Amino acid sequence: MGNLQFLLRQHVGAPCQPVVKVGDKVEKGTLIAVPAGLGANIFSSVYGTVQDVLEDRIVVQPDEVQKEEFVPIKEGNHLDMVKEAGIVGMGGAGFPTGVKLGTDLNGGYILINAAECEPGLYHNVRQIEDNMEMTLRGVKYCMEISNAAKAIFAIKGKNKKAVETIREAIRNEENIFIHLLPDIYPMGEERAVVREALGKLLDPTQLPSAADAIVVNVETVLRVAEAIELKKPSFSKNLTVIGKLNGGNEPHIYMDVPVGTSVEDLIERSGGIDGVYGEIIMGGPFTGKSTTLDAPITKTTGGIIVTIDLPDLHGASVGLLICACGGSEERMREICEKMNGKVVSVARCKQAAEMKNGTLKCEDPGNCPGQAQKCLQFKKDHAEYIIIGNCSDCSNTVMGSAPKMKLKVFHQTDHVMRTINHPVYRRLTVSKQEPQLPGGK
Amino acid sequence: MSITAETAKEHAKDPAVLCCRAEEGTIIEVSNLEDPAIFDDLVDSGLLNLDGALTIGQVLGAKLTKTCDSLSPLTADVMEGIQAVEESAPVKAAEAADESVTEAAVVQTAPVAQTTAGGVLKIHIGEGKDIDIELPLGGMGGGSAVVPAVAAPVAAVAEAAVAEVEAEAKVVRTLTRKHYKITEVKRGPETKIEGTTLYIREGIEKECVDSQKLVCDLKVEIITPADYHTYSETIMDVQPIACKEGESEIGSGTTRVLDGVIIMVTGTDSNGVQIGEFGSSEGYLDENIMWGRPGAPEKGEIFIKTQVTIAEGTNMERPGPLAAHAATDHITQEIREALKEAEDSLVADTEVFEQVRRPGKKKVVIVKEIMGQGAMHDNLVLPVEPVGVLGAKPNVDLGNVPVSVSPLEVLDGCIHALTCIGPASKEMSRHYWREPLVLEALHDTELDLCGVIFVGSPQINSEKFYVSKRVGMMVEMLDVDGAFVTTEGFGNNHIDFASHHEQIGMRGIPVVGLSFCAVQGALVVGNKYMTSMVDNNKSESGIENEVLACNTLCHEDAIRAIAMLKDVMLGEEVKSAEKKWNPNVKSTNVELISNVTGKAIELVQNEQSLPMSQKRKEKYD
Repeated sequence: MGNLQFLLRQHVGAPCQPVVKVGDKVEKGTLIAVPAGLGANIFSSVYGTVQDVLEDRIVVQPDEVQKEEFVPIKEGNHLDMVKEAGIVGMGGAGFPTGVKLGTDLNGGYILINAAECEPGLYHNVRQIEDNMEMTLRGVKYCMEISNAAKAIFAIKGKNKKAVETIREAIRNEENIFIHLLPDIYPMGEERAVVREALGKLLDPTQLPSAADAIVVNVETVLRVAEAIELKKPSFSKNLTVIGKLNGGNEPHIYMDVPVGTSVEDLIERSGGIDGVYGEIIMGGPFTGKSTTLDAPITKTTGGIIVTIDLPDLHGASVGLLICACGGSEERMREICEKMNGKVVSVARCKQAAEMKNGTLKCEDPGNCPGQAQKCLQFKKDHAEYIIIGNCSDCSNTVMGSAPKMKLKVFHQTDHVMRTINHPVYRRLTVSKQEPQLPGGK
Repeated sequence: MSITAETAKEHAKDPAVLCCRAEEGTIIEVSNLEDPAIFDDLVDSGLLNLDGALTIGQVLGAKLTKTCDSLSPLTADVMEGIQAVEESAPVKAAEAADESVTEAAVVQTAPVAQTTAGGVLKIHIGEGKDIDIELPLGGMGGGSAVVPAVAAPVAAVAEAAVAEVEAEAKVVRTLTRKHYKITEVKRGPETKIEGTTLYIREGIEKECVDSQKLVCDLKVEIITPADYHTYSETIMDVQPIACKEGESEIGSGTTRVLDGVIIMVTGTDSNGVQIGEFGSSEGYLDENIMWGRPGAPEKGEIFIKTQVTIAEGTNMERPGPLAAHAATDHITQEIREALKEAEDSLVADTEVFEQVRRPGKKKVVIVKEIMGQGAMHDNLVLPVEPVGVLGAKPNVDLGNVPVSVSPLEVLDGCIHALTCIGPASKEMSRHYWREPLVLEALHDTELDLCGVIFVGSPQINSEKFYVSKRVGMMVEMLDVDGAFVTTEGFGNNHIDFASHHEQIGMRGIPVVGLSFCAVQGALVVGNKYMTSMVDNNKSESGIENEVLACNTLCHEDAIRAIAMLKDVMLGEEVKSAEKKWNPNVKSTNVELISNVTGKAIELVQNEQSLPMSQKRKEKYD
């Protein structure tokens, strides 16, 4: 096992302040950094020695022998324990869960986000299949803490086994329901979950509380139960490793991986990279970023993907269609560069609203506002290829005009989809309407 | 890209096309629809076929019966519950409707001026809202006068308008028009007016011919309404018959005019070639005249129609047509002399035009571009008699430089127009006599119309820029808040039309242009100051259809231009034009204006209201 690196910023907010120094002995569950402003406690995930305290991370050399026991958090009321455990949103956003659950919903909804929308990731669904009991108790703790009257699991209907598991578990629960999501991208976006489950479309600047709801990732729910019942600090993460690996492109699903583990360790554990590869992505194919072997996983890492090589455009002119559901402009430019394309035109989807912090949010995730005009722009700017990062619906729209304009279309996720034998995002062939279970049960 | 409710309303009559895939059962909303602004490009790229598409107004709220992909036109076979066209889409009540006319929301209240028994009480209200005027009647001589309180139904004035105390409007000069009614025109031994009968001297034709070297023949026909279905050579001009009274000059004093009769000049060369061949209005009169246009005859009027034959080959040079006009004016002048003698008891109606200056209001000028290419295009400027020949200077000889005139000079016939090719968009002499933009601007209590500038349109490009630079300087000196630029015809003259915009716009003065454009007259040049345009087109297909005066500036164009200039002067932006001509833009603007003013705007008819001529059938429709 190599060194573990604990990034001081694994959440929304300011970086944490280290509370250990070089040479300190740490145990599994030792508090090593505390928030300075909005943030969450960071704990060591191993027994070992602090080897370095850098500006952005703490490096720990693990002991040879690792015990199962961990340093428990101190007891308190349930909300305090969630805060103390340093739990953050594990779907990727990393918003401190203690802050989120601190909202009084006055009888509103806890929406459990089990959409697991990024293709190639499986750990959320697997968790439901394998550990539904504790997950359900986590849901109830969340309801109790935030004073919610109802909870709804939002999960794609295609995950039949997981859906059946939930149905079985909630059969006698009066206030817990299931809302089935269609198999399109993106359904896991927070506001998409609210829209689908509650029928209310929020503005990009609104929080789910505007719809009397809190959206909690299904793994986060589990961590809440662990904090309360096991007094376990947040130092482990479930994730999926997939891609061009020795032994094939089947997913490797890992539960409770110590935070701080390197990408390399996880890839090696999964068989190692199979020959020439394109890039390593941390996160999902749409919203993930390219990463390196020495990078550590954090409380929000959901996936590690090794892709096949990217195609070579030999310097051809490329138009980029930026949207809120795919990569940022920076990421899109990176992919274009890796494909050896020359960016001649950049357009932003009409629905991609820019937030104060510069990030983009879709005004109506998964419902296309039309893209023909963007394609006309690319054509006008003499693009030969276009790279899009759009959702299923928008990609479908692009395909309605771009090919007829003789624009060759690449999707940002193509190299991933080809790696994992998933259909590429082009035409939409499934309905956006998903039949619901009777009475949500 | 999907559209907003506002866009949907503007384009209610445009085809409805899905912007994205929509599934069976979808109730169509504005967010499902593609923006019609890009249809042209899409059609050009072969991406879109609009055949059979319903309109946006029809599909909103209707149900899709089949899953359709992006860029599918919505047709009746995939829709259920199509809306009747009249029921326009449910639209947000937001008043900020369209950039082009948002601020036209200020309703003009009629100035109130009531004379009471005790003297003069003058109340002028420029703009207002909920103004109640109460006056003690006792002190004003018997209380016989009732001053109506003006409570203007101002629908949506953002700032509460206050009855401002402003410098009072000033009447600079007045023009009185005395109307003499004519119900019959006969030939007789002398030219005279007897009651409502006008006699034209027999044998006058020979003198007309003799007066002009280039005129070989001249026939006079009296066309009564019963004779409208008569073949005629191309109509070169339509003129009012008017004269000045006593010593008064064009633009002031008193003018006498005959009602119910007009002079119509027509002609060919001695080979029978139309004057202004290729683009002429010969044919049956009732099929080639757009009745009621400012420059055209009214239905019911009697025409004194000359058919002038000029020397062979002179039909395309200035002296030929000029000779035809001058020969015709020989008759008109004799009628004017008779009119000067007419008794006052014959006056059927008197009209008084006031040239009002309104200090403190937005000061505007009208620049009217007139043809001056010199082949057969010319205009005689400022004759002694209304629309006369004597005393006038041809604007080609003036070098087409700008000439400033008063609005009343325009309305008193200071232009004798010699136009030919493209009769649908040319301004006949009568047009100026009834010029709608001048009339509207003059009467608009929110505007201070300082005057009218005529500028010729020379043939040569270097001369075009020469004159437009003079226009720019002149407008700069006037210190106006805004300017209108109008033109007649299309094509070549659009070069200087564009340059006028540039010269005015570059001086920071908002400018609104009026021209026939549509399909056939689409602007060939442009610049960044040509953002606010009103299209004078009335024809169904947006073409020069050779129907006399069909596409000339009418009242409905004047009010749009005024609303637009007011907006631009307030800093509002005018939406940019669509790539291709879309007649719905006009109807939307008209609707927006009438919504704000509360007055319905009656649109004039077009050539479709006329019997179909063989020529139109073959060439155009």
